Amino acid sequence: MINVIYILVQIMVIILVAPLVNGIINKVKAFTQKRKGAPLLQMYFDLYKLLKKNAVVSEVSSWIFKATPYIVFSTALAVALLVPVTTLIVPTGFPGDIIMLVYVLALGRFFMTLAGLDTGSTFGGMGSSREVMISALLEPSLLVAVFTVGLVSKSTSVYKMMEAMKNADVPLAQPVLIMVFFAILIIIIAETSRIPVDDPATHLELTMVHEAMILEYSGRHLALMELGAAIKQLVFITLLVNVFIPLDQYIGMTGISAVIISLLVYLVKVILVSILIAVAEVSTVKFRLFSVPNLAAFSFILSFLGFLQYSVFGR
Amino acid sequence: MGIFSAITLFQASLVLYLVAALAALVFIKRHKLSNIVSNGLCILASLFGLISSLMHILSGEEKIVLGTFKSAIPYVTLNITIDKLSAFFVLILSILVLSVSVYSIGYVSHYYGKRNVGLLNFLYSTFILSMIFVMTAGNTVFFFIVWEAMSLISYFLVVFESEKEENQRAGTLYIIMTHVGTAFLLIAFMIMFSYTKSFDMFGSSAMIPIFAKNIMFILFLIGFGTKAGVIPLHIWLPYAHPAASSNISALMSGIMIKTAIYGMIRFMLVYLNIQQTWWGILILVIGATSAVLGVAYALMEHNIKRLLAFHSIENIGIILIGLGVSFIAFAQKNEPLGALALTASLFHSFNHTLFKGGLFLGAGSIQYSTHTMDIEELGGLIKKMPITALLMLSFSLAISAIVPFNGFVSEWLTYQSLFINIQPNQAGVNIASILAVAALGLAGALAVACFVKLFGISFLGTPRSNHASQAKEVPSTMNIGMGILAMFCLAAGLFPMIFIKVIDNVVMSMGTQSIMGNLQGGFLIAYYPLSVSGNSISPIGILTLIISVIFGLLVIIRIIGGKYVERKYGTWDCGFETLNSRMQYSATGFSKPLRIVLRILYRPGREIKLEEGVSPYFPNSIRYKVSTEPIFEKYLYVPILNITQKFSQKVKFSVQTGNVHTYLLYIFLAVLALMLYNRLA
Amino acid sequence: MKDYLDVLSMLILFSSLVLMANKRITSCIKTFRLQSALIAVAAGIMGFKSLYEEGTFDILVVCLIIIALKVIYIPSLLNKASANVEYKVEKNFFLNIPILILVCCALVVFSYFSISTLEGINGGQINVQVVNSVAIVLIGMFFMISRKRAIGQVVGFLVIENGLFVTAMFSTHGMPFIVDMGVFIDLITAVLIMGLMVFRINEKFESIDINKLNNLRG
Repeated sequence: MINVIYILVQIMVIILVAPLVNGIINKVKAFTQKRKGAPLLQMYFDLYKLLKKNAVVSEVSSWIFKATPYIVFSTALAVALLVPVTTLIVPTGFPGDIIMLVYVLALGRFFMTLAGLDTGSTFGGMGSSREVMISALLEPSLLVAVFTVGLVSKSTSVYKMMEAMKNADVPLAQPVLIMVFFAILIIIIAETSRIPVDDPATHLELTMVHEAMILEYSGRHLALMELGAAIKQLVFITLLVNVFIPLDQYIGMTGISAVIISLLVYLVKVILVSILIAVAEVSTVKFRLFSVPNLAAFSFILSFLGFLQYSVFGR
Repeated sequence: MGIFSAITLFQASLVLYLVAALAALVFIKRHKLSNIVSNGLCILASLFGLISSLMHILSGEEKIVLGTFKSAIPYVTLNITIDKLSAFFVLILSILVLSVSVYSIGYVSHYYGKRNVGLLNFLYSTFILSMIFVMTAGNTVFFFIVWEAMSLISYFLVVFESEKEENQRAGTLYIIMTHVGTAFLLIAFMIMFSYTKSFDMFGSSAMIPIFAKNIMFILFLIGFGTKAGVIPLHIWLPYAHPAASSNISALMSGIMIKTAIYGMIRFMLVYLNIQQTWWGILILVIGATSAVLGVAYALMEHNIKRLLAFHSIENIGIILIGLGVSFIAFAQKNEPLGALALTASLFHSFNHTLFKGGLFLGAGSIQYSTHTMDIEELGGLIKKMPITALLMLSFSLAISAIVPFNGFVSEWLTYQSLFINIQPNQAGVNIASILAVAALGLAGALAVACFVKLFGISFLGTPRSNHASQAKEVPSTMNIGMGILAMFCLAAGLFPMIFIKVIDNVVMSMGTQSIMGNLQGGFLIAYYPLSVSGNSISPIGILTLIISVIFGLLVIIRIIGGKYVERKYGTWDCGFETLNSRMQYSATGFSKPLRIVLRILYRPGREIKLEEGVSPYFPNSIRYKVSTEPIFEKYLYVPILNITQKFSQKVKFSVQTGNVHTYLLYIFLAVLALMLYNRLA
Repeated sequence: MKDYLDVLSMLILFSSLVLMANKRITSCIKTFRLQSALIAVAAGIMGFKSLYEEGTFDILVVCLIIIALKVIYIPSLLNKASANVEYKVEKNFFLNIPILILVCCALVVFSYFSISTLEGINGGQINVQVVNSVAIVLIGMFFMISRKRAIGQVVGFLVIENGLFVTAMFSTHGMPFIVDMGVFIDLITAVLIMGLMVFRINEKFESIDINKLNNLRG
């Protein structure tokens, strides 16, 4: 029964914190542009409003259009349960493997790109074709980075990675970890559709990728897609902070106070990384679509060099 | 031995295939009866084959020698020996033949009255029979004979619709390439005979010196690689597989390629007993290259069958990656890793047969109802052929290695074997392994792109031509055939341990230990992880999670948002009144970003022809043509052909002089040379 | 402390990769400045360590010289030179940027393979710092080859010099003073001359495109 309680706690934490990350990023962007910006909790209000609205569905589309929001949301949430958030106790009974994480997210992406093509509109097709290009270019880098961290911790399960990193004295002290950290940071920016890869606040066809695929959605479907994307973003951020900077030593202990303290530390880390992402977004412009291969190649070489440093040079 | 032992069932299945072939010929005038009888007998035969091979794998015996027929010609004996590896491949073949035969009952009906259905079914049954013999041949002479027979019969099947010129060219290219490969095999067999003085495949190779083993390895690699379609020997595959009719293409791409993999494992691993690491590294590199290039070329195609044929090259690449890692492990005497990698490779062969066969059958269904194979003319089929669409969606998910289907499990096992392969102090192998990981990831992501294109543009949206708008659902036997394969895909994805246990018996029989110690997993239905040295996945656990989350969502959203009200309206059209089907994304447009990014591979050419109208901004018509260069043909094969032709021109004039005296001189010199050889040898 | 030096050598390699991926002159010069700052930090760490252990000043002096010259003076010189040139972004490349980055990857692997058999590299285990530094030299040379305009060549030459300095510093943890001063004086002369040439070229002719040197053929 403890497992079920942990699962529910983790689900609650993830669903409640995910829109907060978006709120923080928007607020930081607004401050740097000398605006007040929307309230921090704006996304919660948006989601609530969307859930109550009716849905307008195109007559050209099929069951795939209506099934996709549910699939996207549930794959993102299923993946969130494979990543350690507050404690190292594995809620699902099998320690989640990071390769499985990548491929479960691929299920969500497959259906999202199909839904873009389903409505027979040009915007959707355009978003789908750009999205598959960007994700295809970043996948080798993600896998090499993940393998490198797995090699350092001798396992491909995220929980074991976190445990292995916890035993090192200074976080990020090895060259391999710095390289892989930056590689994964670039991948996060691309996967969560942030500037410089994709602008999350635009509706011009020149610049849309993710927005184009969800253009036709409305009502509760739109709420699920947006929340699913926010949860995916939070999962990647959690992966980054909990594996690379496991500063809290209370993880692994049971007991209510340990869980609460580790939750607070986790929240602080997530807020810091969100501010970092927002600063990165503000300080650059969106790249041309065909400059994304440059970024992908750069990320690949970072992870490959990280691998070289560790396995070939022994450091 | 009782009447239901493995041997009798296997013999019964062989006899039934033969009867099916003859029945097709007997009823050659009555198309419908011939079709149903011969396919029905094939179904029965494949069921027997399935049961017998499964019984043999799970039993304790090593191998069954079915029969040895000596003939008057010395050294030519027909020897059928079934050991566990052969039984495994016969098992894969039987499952595929079962589904394809059920499918063919419905599919071949569109040939009634137009073509010789009896001949088609005769060739079909004998093709299956020849493949079974290839997998169970016991000595190399018999192997060679049935290998040639298999190539010949498949050539006839490829040029079955021989009035189309492209089919003829496809057939010619196929037969030439496969004979080139077979020539290399012949040389390897000759070397084997000259050292061991016997043609027995199951003998020992201890007498062959190391350098001869290396040469034989290269010869086997080229010979079997031509049949399997590895880069750069692949040029026949994209022409031959689309030319054949869809049920034959499913067999060719599903099983005929696997006979090459069987040959590689049988000859290189079991017979030659690997000792060198560079064999494994070479196969790893070839596999990684084939995986990336195969799917990259598949992306650019918009003929469904050519796309699927190129994609087979990618999956062969993945199988070779697993095989390469196992070769490296066996050369380093690391048996558990070798067994794991071999299991991954065999499991991926099994999975590939299932989903690639299913995809070709689906392409056949599309062709049956819309009479076109061009993606650019399809669209909106999901509303007209819903069951076919659902089955194609599940095969597309399986081939893109997405949870919870079977492609994911075998790719995961390949990743794990690459992971374990990276050990300190072997820099070359480590770098090759990590590059293989990157290649595998890239190939997987490009495969997602490819199949989103295939499924999305063919089935979703609005129809782009008249063919597509008049499509109807296909006869139910075709759907049942595909359904059998889809069920196996789902089962292998959710409960992989059952299948891996079968494969484990096969791998154990090749002299290595069982990997079951490393590979734990429960047999409960509820929660069923598959773990390799501590890293575990549970596809059924994830599926349960996803489904329960969806249920929870439906409940919660109903509570917060009230009842679901939906309003149907047109697609967002920016204020234009009518969106027509030409405004949707086309297949060429969908793959354009990747075509530009990977332009080194494709060297795309672009032609735009404008016919101006009233003003330059309002043309009357625009023709846009984009083409990719066939790099391997242009830069590798055409120069070789040119050199060969020039050389043979020169030789022709000096050797064949037309003068009788020269020819008599040749005969005289040959007799002198033979007598000299007799004296010296 | 060895860990920190490893990390620093990795960051210096990282900065040379960032240099490779850049298309604008001003970012190239800023990245060069960052690289020199990192080298100064590494030299400073080694200098303080040698100060505490042996009481020698030379590495600290070298560190200060690096800061004065390469972090402050030379980049400002290059900035002035580039302000008068009519282009700011390199538009045409021989090979596009992803391929350049993959070639840098191969260069690092190559530098590992060629050094791994040398004797005496800090005891059995391969010394990461030396391999990284040699890779920086190779990347600097490749940078010079891949840029079509003259200022790219100058920056490439400076990166080669950085790389040589870092190799010497990491492999011996100390440096003969005279040799280093000699190299520095060489460097200033070269940069001054090149800067003047760039100015003059720009005044007398229309462009500093090196391809046009092909007109001198024959």
